[in-house]
Amino acid sequence: MPRLKLVAGLLLALILVTGVLARAGLTRRWVEDLGLQKTQREELRVWDWWSASTNEEYGDYFAALETAFEARNPDVDVIFQVVPFGNYVQKLSTAMVGDTPPDVFQSSVYWAEGFHQQGMLRSLNDLLEADPALPGTPAYVGESAFLPSAWRHNHTEDGTIFGIPQIIDASCLLWNLDILQAAAADDDEIRAMFQRDAAGAIDWTRIHWDAVHDWEHFRRLTRKLTVRDENDDVTQAGFLLSASSGAGLFSPWLAANGGRFQDAAGTQALFASARGIETVEFIARLYWVDRVCPPFRRQMTDAEMFKERRAAVVAAGTWSGKDITRDTMGWTHFGKTAFPRGPSGDGPSTVTWGNMLVITQRCDNVDAAWRYVKFVGGLEGSLLRGQYLGYNGPRFDFYATERWQQALRERPYLSNVKQICLAGDKLRHTEIIAVDHQANPIVESVLLHYPEILEGRGPYPSVAAAMRTAADNVDNVYRRYNEQVDNWLALRAAGTD
Amino acid sequence: MARRAPWSQRLLPYLYVGPALTVACLFSFVSMAISLWVSFHDYDAFAGASRFVGFDNYHRALYSADSYFWLAMRHTGVYVVLSVCGTLLTSLPLALLCLRAKVGQALFRTLYFLPSITPGVVLALVFYHIFGNYGQLLDRSWTALPALALLGVWAGAGYNMVIFLAGLTEIPQILYDAAVVDGANRWQQFRHITMPMLRNTLVFVTVMTIIGSFQVFTSVYIMTSGGPERSTEVIAYSIFVNAFAVAGQMGYASALAWLLFGVIFVFVFLQMRVFRSRRIYDE
Repeated sequence: MPRLKLVAGLLLALILVTGVLARAGLTRRWVEDLGLQKTQREELRVWDWWSASTNEEYGDYFAALETAFEARNPDVDVIFQVVPFGNYVQKLSTAMVGDTPPDVFQSSVYWAEGFHQQGMLRSLNDLLEADPALPGTPAYVGESAFLPSAWRHNHTEDGTIFGIPQIIDASCLLWNLDILQAAAADDDEIRAMFQRDAAGAIDWTRIHWDAVHDWEHFRRLTRKLTVRDENDDVTQAGFLLSASSGAGLFSPWLAANGGRFQDAAGTQALFASARGIETVEFIARLYWVDRVCPPFRRQMTDAEMFKERRAAVVAAGTWSGKDITRDTMGWTHFGKTAFPRGPSGDGPSTVTWGNMLVITQRCDNVDAAWRYVKFVGGLEGSLLRGQYLGYNGPRFDFYATERWQQALRERPYLSNVKQICLAGDKLRHTEIIAVDHQANPIVESVLLHYPEILEGRGPYPSVAAAMRTAADNVDNVYRRYNEQVDNWLALRAAGTD
Repeated sequence: MARRAPWSQRLLPYLYVGPALTVACLFSFVSMAISLWVSFHDYDAFAGASRFVGFDNYHRALYSADSYFWLAMRHTGVYVVLSVCGTLLTSLPLALLCLRAKVGQALFRTLYFLPSITPGVVLALVFYHIFGNYGQLLDRSWTALPALALLGVWAGAGYNMVIFLAGLTEIPQILYDAAVVDGANRWQQFRHITMPMLRNTLVFVTVMTIIGSFQVFTSVYIMTSGGPERSTEVIAYSIFVNAFAVAGQMGYASALAWLLFGVIFVFVFLQMRVFRSRRIYDE
């Protein structure tokens, strides 16, 4: 009897351990070697952070995408896996090390350059060259099919292409049109921001993408739009600022002032320039001198305040319209503009980025993966995203479709996104998270202690000194990172030998 | 001479211990050994390649101008002090009150224990909004860290209260009776009976609180991301950022982790030595 118990115990333990190992994927290779997992269709694992759990429209989009793609490619079974944005790098690195990477995934510009330099991504140059689709056709996914701003983050300076743009986004100013319309009743300057229809009547649903001429104009407008109560507390922000946004808030204003955050090669921070200092001081003065914003608060995001109609203008992304429409059930009317020209700038501008689909270096089924990337990056994929997610597309031909015209009629806030995206400069792109970790607290300190800094008793002797410190720290990030890239290249070269 | 048990019976205990030991070895000891090895290397997890760099990562953490190790340690130290003081000042009184409750002791115990079994992420999100709406504690550099410590104390108070409660119920009633006969008042009873008899529990609670506080991460990650102005950047958060947000810094992050281990080890060791040097009443 005791022996029977022992055997039963051992058997149970064995089953449990086997179950854990199998579930963890550690026996995958053994099972594959046995030929037990052979199926008629090739499985294509696709990772994305767009999740139906955050927005049910993503679920509808992926369902439609899967149906449409598999109808044309019956030999492929697309399996979507959602990976939270915040865990993407860890999960992907772990999957790569554990030899269970996805075949295709959406890569944010936050990581794309780094993934490529680490050798995680497959070069797409050979696939593009061999692709039979001709330029100008809806299936073509080469450079000429895309807005220049979409085709900025997906390749290196030497021409290696590692991603096909899936979206195009830009930072923009989001204006509450209801607040503007009310203010325009007795203000010609605000009224002039709105577009007019063919008959010359004001179109209260659309503003010009370059409605604000320069920083001084912006300052004047936001002061007018700021409402205070009897205690002089701001109850409606003319422009809502968040000190903790750091480089995210600073970058588009810097672009509009003709400056750049970093050099193209990712070796040097450029934001501590005279233009950069001018930019930070402009933002700080909006807060401290013009007082267009209530006290900084971390808990209430710009978007939340905007949706509660407590801010006339916020800085946001061109992607944000669908969320605001959904969250306010369509009651909030808003329009988008680029960031106005700064004293040293050339015109309205912003920063843009184009997240992309990439194929992993260890993808076994490159043919199916490339068909999928082409489908999503082609016109049909763009239209599906427009239809289900309300996104504008990264392709030129997308803007000529009837569906886009219909979207503009239904959602007037989309009317400026193409111009804004075209006007923008490239978003900072090298080691963004690490760079933000270095730069953001310093920019935050400058904004929080600007008057003290001017009086010589702040955490930094001057704004210029603070920005120099931030730039030095960011330069250290770049230096270490580039040393790392050299190591990776050396390792790969050694592996090739 | 006693007959030896058959091998099957001798094997059985090891069989019971085996799975837990395997898991502990695999996910704790082996991982720790790997992390120690990584800390002496410039390690690239993806390429699976590494280069021995000796103590470079440690040197960088301790002496580099752009290292936030000391800043993070200072913040962590403040957090630990606030947490330990806060925990002891809330858990023990709660336990004493709970012990005196004539009715509903189980209910109080359950209520106070609830935060301990609530996921840290949920607590952090709830408190993020509480602190945002009342006092805006997370918006100021000098209040953000105490606010996080307050959350830590609140979350851990119930668990530690249960531990103290267990310790209190172990104290023989006869000691209190004798003290009453000798004319001792409440404070004297607490000071000369309760506290000495609770010393083992106190050591346990303090050690566990110190260890847990040194490793505080979730609330920082969710509520402040180290801000404002890096005022809540604690060492565990710094390790996380370097390990997972900065490419190729796993070796440096591992070095930070081992430095943290060293600090905790020294703290706990000293504490155990100090407490062991005095006579414990129930020995």
